Amino acid sequence: MTRLDSANLKPLFIERMKELLGDDFDNYIEAIEREPPRSIRCNTLKISPSDLKKRLEAKGWKLSQKFKKNPEIMIIENELEPGELGRSVEHVLGYYYVQEIASMLPVIALNPKPDELVLDLCAAPGSKTTQIASLMKNTGTIIANEVSLGRIKILASNTERCGVTNVVITKQDGAALCRKLKKLDYGFDKILIDAPCSGEGTLRSTPKTAIMWNINTVRKLSGVQKDLFSNAFSILKKGGEIVYSTCTHSPEENEGVVNSILEEFKGQIKIERINIPIKSREGISKWKEREYLEDVKYSCRIYPQDDETEGFFIAKFRKVGD
Amino acid sequence: MVSDKFVPMRIVAMKDRERVVSELQERFGIKDVPGTMVMRGRERLYFYSGNFESWKLKKLEENVIIERVGVYFAKMVDDKIKLSIEGVSLLRNQITKNIFEMDDKSMDDWIRGRDLNIRTGLNGFLVMKNGNDFFGIGKASENKIGNFIPKSRRVRDRG
Repeated sequence: MTRLDSANLKPLFIERMKELLGDDFDNYIEAIEREPPRSIRCNTLKISPSDLKKRLEAKGWKLSQKFKKNPEIMIIENELEPGELGRSVEHVLGYYYVQEIASMLPVIALNPKPDELVLDLCAAPGSKTTQIASLMKNTGTIIANEVSLGRIKILASNTERCGVTNVVITKQDGAALCRKLKKLDYGFDKILIDAPCSGEGTLRSTPKTAIMWNINTVRKLSGVQKDLFSNAFSILKKGGEIVYSTCTHSPEENEGVVNSILEEFKGQIKIERINIPIKSREGISKWKEREYLEDVKYSCRIYPQDDETEGFFIAKFRKVGD
Repeated sequence: MVSDKFVPMRIVAMKDRERVVSELQERFGIKDVPGTMVMRGRERLYFYSGNFESWKLKKLEENVIIERVGVYFAKMVDDKIKLSIEGVSLLRNQITKNIFEMDDKSMDDWIRGRDLNIRTGLNGFLVMKNGNDFFGIGKASENKIGNFIPKSRRVRDRG
C-alpha cells in the first residue's frame, strides 16, 4: 500500500487541521503517515464470526476481535501478501467484507432491526448496505440508492456476493429520489446518509486525496449534503432515526450541516447521543466566525490518532414531530 | 425518465413459479423457494426476501429506476433452470441430489474458473460442493464438468 507523504498536504489543509486539533496536530500527522490496520467484517448472513475466525486462522491469518459486542469486526494482525484479503475463497464466497473499522460505525450507530424499512441513500460500494442487511437478517426492506452507473454495478456485485436478498437497488440522484418517495407516501424507520464528501479522513488509505483536496470542493459539497439531509428528513417517519456520516474532518461538511439541519427543522428533530465502540470526540462548537447550537456537540468526530482508524464524522437524529 | 434499453421487471406468477420449483425439485430435490421471485428480461430470475408486496415493487418501478431487486438467483436456459452461485447458496439446505463433491485440488481449480476434466457418469447441471462450501453449478458431460463461475466471482492468481 502506498503511504501518505505529509509533504503533499496543501498549506490551507494543514492550517485548518491545526486549527481543529491544536497541540494534537503532530500526533495526527504521525498517524496518517502510518499504514492503517487491515480489518474485515464477518458477513453473518453466511457464516458466524467464530466459524470464520477458525477458517481464516487455519490459513495462517492472525486475527483479533477488539470489540466484545461486535465479534463480527476482525483485525488482521499479521502480514498478508498483497491482494490476499480479496483473493481468498472466503472472500469470493461472501463470508466477509473488507472494510475499515471507522466505516462500520455509522451502521452500528443506526442500529437497524429486522423487519424495518431502511433507506441507504448513497449506498455504493455497498459496505454499509451489506452491514445493514446482516443486522436485519435479510428481512424488512433496504432501498439502497446510488446515482452513478459505474458505482451501482459495484454495489450490486457486493450485495450479490454477500447474499443480500432484502434489497431494492435504485439509481437516482439522492435528493430527487427522496422527493419521489415522498410523493409515494413512504415513511422510513431508519435512513443512512453516508454523504459524498471531500474524504479528508481517508488520507491513510487513499493518499491521492491530499493532492485532490481543495476548499471549493468542501464548500460545494456542504450544500449538496444539506440538500440530501433536508429531503431525506421529509420521508423519515415520526420516531424514525437518521444517521448522517462523512469520512471527512471539515466542519463545513459536518457540524455546519448538523447545525443547519437543527435550525431548519427546529421542533421536529432531536440529535441523539451515539454509542460506538471506539474513542470519539464531541462535535466542535465554533468554526471560523460561526458558533454552532449547543446540541451539535452530540456529534462524533473520529480521528486517526485516537484509535488507529480512518477519520470519520457521525451524527444521529430522531424525528420527534411532523 | 426511463431509457429505451430499460427492461421492466415482472413478478413471477404462481403458475410460472410452480414450474420453476418443479424443475428444481426434479433436478436437485428442492421443494420450495421462499420469498418473491422477480424476472428481468426473458431469462434472469431474482430472489427477494423483503416485505414489499408485488404491487409496491411495481409502483416503485413506475416512479424510480430500479437496478436490482434481491439477488440474481437463476437463469432459464433452454427451459432448464441454471442456479447461480447465490441461488445454490440460498437453497443449499434443500439440495439432495445431483451434487458433485470436489476435493480440495478440484475446488482450487474450480474457483479459478477452470473446467474439471473428470468423467462423472452424469449429465446436465450439478451442484458443486467442497465440504460445507457451495460453488454454484457445473454442467457435466461425458469427460468434463463445465465451469460457469462468472469472472467477478473467481479467485484470481497474483499477477
